[in-house]
Amino acid sequence: MIREFLSVLDDRDAKPARGHLALLVCYAVLHGIVFVLLVPVLRALFAGDLSTAWTWIAVLAGVTAVTCVVHYAQSMYGFDVGLKMTRALHRRLGDHVAALPLGWFSGNRVGRLGQLATTGVWEVTGLPAHLIRPLVMAVVTPATIAVAMLFFDWRMALALVLGAPVIYVGYRVTSRLLVRTEHEIDAAAAEFGGRAVEFAQNQAVLRACGRAESGYRALDDAIERQHEVGTRQIRVGVPALLLFAVSVQLVVAAVFVVGVSLALGASLGVPELLALLVLVTRFVDPIVATAELGAAMRAAGNSLGRIREVLETPPLPEPAGDAALPGGERFDIEFDDVRFAYEGQGGGDGAADGRAALAGAAFRIPAGTTTALVGPSGSGKSTVVRLIARFWDVDGGAVRIGGADVRDIPTERLMALIAPVFQDVYLFDATIEENIRIGRPTATEAEVREAGRLARVDEIAERLPDGWRSRVGEGGAVLSGGERQRVSLARAILKDAPIVLLDEATAALDPRNEVAVQQSLATMSGRTKLIIAHRLRTIVHADQIIFLDGGEPVEIGTHEQLLAADGRYARFWRDRNRARGWRLVKGGGAR
Amino acid sequence: MSGEVEAEPSGGAPPPGPEPAAPGGLKELIAPVKSSLVLAAVLAAVGAIASLAPFVAIYELALELLSPDPDEGRVWTVVAIAVLGLVLRFLCEGTAFAVSHRADNRLQAHLRRRVVAHLGRLPLGWFTEKNAGTVKTAVQDDVLAMHHLVGHSVVEFVSSATAPVAALLYLLFVDWRLMLVTIVTLPIYAAFYVIATRKSGENVAQYGAALGRINAAVIEFVQGIAVVKAFGQTRRAHERFTTASDDYVAFMEKWISPVLKPQSVTSACVSPPVILLAVLTGGAIFVGQGWVRAVDLLPFALLGVGLTAPLVALGYTGNDIRSAGAAAARIGVLLATPTMTDPAEPRVPAGNLVEFDHVDFGYGPEKQVLHDVSAVLRPGTVTALVGPSGAGKSTLASLLPRFFDVDRGSIRIGGVDLRDVATAELYRHVGFVFQDVRLLRMSVRDNIRLARPDADDAAVESAARSAQVHDVVQALPRGYDSVVGEDAKFSGGEAQRVSIARALLADTPVLVLDEATAFADAQSEAAIQDALSELAAGRTLLVIAHRLHTVADADQILVLDEGRVVERGRHADLLRANGLYARLWAAGEHDVVEVGA
Repeated sequence: MIREFLSVLDDRDAKPARGHLALLVCYAVLHGIVFVLLVPVLRALFAGDLSTAWTWIAVLAGVTAVTCVVHYAQSMYGFDVGLKMTRALHRRLGDHVAALPLGWFSGNRVGRLGQLATTGVWEVTGLPAHLIRPLVMAVVTPATIAVAMLFFDWRMALALVLGAPVIYVGYRVTSRLLVRTEHEIDAAAAEFGGRAVEFAQNQAVLRACGRAESGYRALDDAIERQHEVGTRQIRVGVPALLLFAVSVQLVVAAVFVVGVSLALGASLGVPELLALLVLVTRFVDPIVATAELGAAMRAAGNSLGRIREVLETPPLPEPAGDAALPGGERFDIEFDDVRFAYEGQGGGDGAADGRAALAGAAFRIPAGTTTALVGPSGSGKSTVVRLIARFWDVDGGAVRIGGADVRDIPTERLMALIAPVFQDVYLFDATIEENIRIGRPTATEAEVREAGRLARVDEIAERLPDGWRSRVGEGGAVLSGGERQRVSLARAILKDAPIVLLDEATAALDPRNEVAVQQSLATMSGRTKLIIAHRLRTIVHADQIIFLDGGEPVEIGTHEQLLAADGRYARFWRDRNRARGWRLVKGGGAR
Repeated sequence: MSGEVEAEPSGGAPPPGPEPAAPGGLKELIAPVKSSLVLAAVLAAVGAIASLAPFVAIYELALELLSPDPDEGRVWTVVAIAVLGLVLRFLCEGTAFAVSHRADNRLQAHLRRRVVAHLGRLPLGWFTEKNAGTVKTAVQDDVLAMHHLVGHSVVEFVSSATAPVAALLYLLFVDWRLMLVTIVTLPIYAAFYVIATRKSGENVAQYGAALGRINAAVIEFVQGIAVVKAFGQTRRAHERFTTASDDYVAFMEKWISPVLKPQSVTSACVSPPVILLAVLTGGAIFVGQGWVRAVDLLPFALLGVGLTAPLVALGYTGNDIRSAGAAAARIGVLLATPTMTDPAEPRVPAGNLVEFDHVDFGYGPEKQVLHDVSAVLRPGTVTALVGPSGAGKSTLASLLPRFFDVDRGSIRIGGVDLRDVATAELYRHVGFVFQDVRLLRMSVRDNIRLARPDADDAAVESAARSAQVHDVVQALPRGYDSVVGEDAKFSGGEAQRVSIARALLADTPVLVLDEATAFADAQSEAAIQDALSELAAGRTLLVIAHRLHTVADADQILVLDEGRVVERGRHADLLRANGLYARLWAAGEHDVVEVGA
């Protein structure tokens, strides 16, 4: 546990943590020594030898003074270490996260990472204060006393030493029993949490179906289940904790019995016995308390594990040299037999497209042309777009821009080439203007406004009280989905990069804005554009259409060529045309 | 949320904070388990007193063994009492633990049921995305936070308070002068605690703010990283994040340091070694003066050093109670959210004529959305709502299934105001299919027959067939028994069709429909359209229209602009009127004309 704790810190930051641990152990040992000194003091007092007693009290005072100094030092140092660790963990997480592939940041992960970087970090940095300290005190101090006991009476020391394994076994058994129920508890809690959110999110449907009044079975069951598991945990947990208490008690009782027998047999001095009993009874409590600490320890361990998991996720390898683009200023894109599959959990909650892999995709997108990606959901359209932006690295083959493998282009250079407009848009809690300016921080105000106008953000600015300087709230909460999309489009327009990647999910726009936005996209001429196309207009006007299915481009050509070929694309086109002409109700006399 | 996460400085007692204001809701919320808690508290008190037995026994043992002629039988009796005391103590503590945890477990289930029952009666409009998160926090996290209070804190508080008090009383009985020597350092700590509490209280708000800032910076950094990377701004965003982290650390240093030093010193004053030193020094003097026997020092050495640990524990318990209070307050707020009033004397609609009668509505006083909207939906006819985005189409449509109640005017079905119709009765008349579909994590069959749990398999299949989704379901590993989200993973369009099948089976005469449903998934658009056409046939329809041509044949088109009906009529009439509708149509045609090849 402690080793794992140190492993999330790098060497420089782990040093103070180690130092703190050393101070703690030091404190615990001194603490034990003070108590051991009770033996000679009592012996002298009982013997009526006051001057010897005063000598020992002076020694005890000296050790106590040192103990206090160490206590003070570890307390101050511990605080300092806590803050240092907070900063170090934030730094490490920040540095590492910044180097992870974009593909890593699926919606689900981002939420968890946010929680990890705040609550998780506090939990871990709180570890020394809340867990390690009591644990060290509960183990090291009694151990010190047991060792010191050797100097006074080896038989009593032996009784204590023999007690240790009994306590240890009791501790292990108890922990194991507790862990078993904890898994069940976690599972039941997760099930209930999921059902609760489901219940809230589907309230309209559930009510309309009469399921809110008569109770939603699945949720009721989850509550019931959580209750049952809780009951079982108590049934297992209470005896488990008692078991541990009993094992500690057994040792105490044994020491009592052995000691008293020896004292009665006059082979052990009464002062030694009494002092010893004082020590034994005093340390029952901290030891028993460790059983419950174990549970808290595991909870913190979970956060620790998750932080480690993030830190151990391999970042995208950066090219060693500062490789220039061989293609000069011509940024055509080439997929050379690209194979790619998502790992096990893959895109998490990613779109249906996200699951598909590419199975040997090969095509070229000439510089300065517009290519429309078309195909059923799950055919790999989003994957193609994301591989260009290097969300992930390919498994086989290569993606090249201007003849250079994207893996050989430094990330910053690659990103400078691409203006992405993807479906998941994030806005910062800043003004509209500042959010657009992220596209190109050096842009003039006029340029920002112009980009905003082209993406029809001007209309949003007009509506809001502070115009372009209106704040959009955390994650852009003030704006609707369509409005956020327009801001993101403005960013891309402002960035003015040679390659435009566009996921055309502009369905949230009303017809007027849609037309306007289409027109402004058309003005971005001379760019290499790759569009995941839904709109017929975009498709027809594209220089090249790639029809994807099952991760492979099955047809490539212009609209006319593909229609003439009368294949997959032609069928798709006929379906879409029929859909376009659809009327919800065929007018009975409406015409 | 900012105030919730507490990063406590390492070492020593938790930072003293202000005492929590007694939350009114907490008492009421834990009322159902009050008797159990009292029992647990009594047991904890008995256990705490029993925990003194071994210490007292050692003293008695010493008296006996040091006497000139120890009585062996009496010695063993004392040993037995010591061991029995321990047994009694752990039994009491174990039982108290079991009782309090059982109470807590019961309370958790009780509170969850209570909250869920309350949720079922809140206005539908309350269930926004944000509030779905609130629900989870309330029923899961907040209920768990109260777990600490009920399951642990009560017992811990009682034993932490009883043990030192009982010990002090006993010591007082043994020798009051030595008792005073034992606690000589306590006032130093107490004085510090009072001062520090007052001092740090002033900064608690600032602490919350500092914590809030770093949380915001972390969340922004993490959530925005994709954007930031894509636009080559990683370094800058990273800087903001580390700056926030540095600021936080600097603030903590400034805030805690002045308190930390005296705290470290004073907590050393009450540490066991110091108390032991005080007892032995004072004791040696007392013995030298002949005031007490040497053996009388034993109980002070034994019990004196154990006085402080419970004090520290009390500090922690205070923190637990604070956060439980905050959690209880949040649950209280949720439970206090006013519910929809169910009609005292529900009336049954006569027929399915729908009337909007001078309806005003807004999401709060500042944001009025609809102004004086009137319309009549005759049975079996189609009414389309059109207008630019933000005109109030979706809002108007959501009033009919009573997601919200109108501010002024009324909406009637079959002549009866919606507010006078019992909920179950209303949903027998009004159904809806919106763009935002989330299926429930249950079998596909149960999803389809959600509104009619008694429907047989044939009815379910026939609905699925009409909704063009039967083949999709058949292809699943367990067919209709496949569980959504587990072995049934639907694309957006397929999920739409399942929800249409559900509406078909529910078979309500009035239906509210979002036409955007049809293009939620461009690839299965045609199939969804067929399903929707099937669903629309023969019902009273209120359609939110985004693509005008799909509703060109509607019996009635209401053109909304900024929450008012600015035009109404049929397609041809509206085109002739050459107003807003005509302009919208022209913008839509633009697309049609260009692809018309």
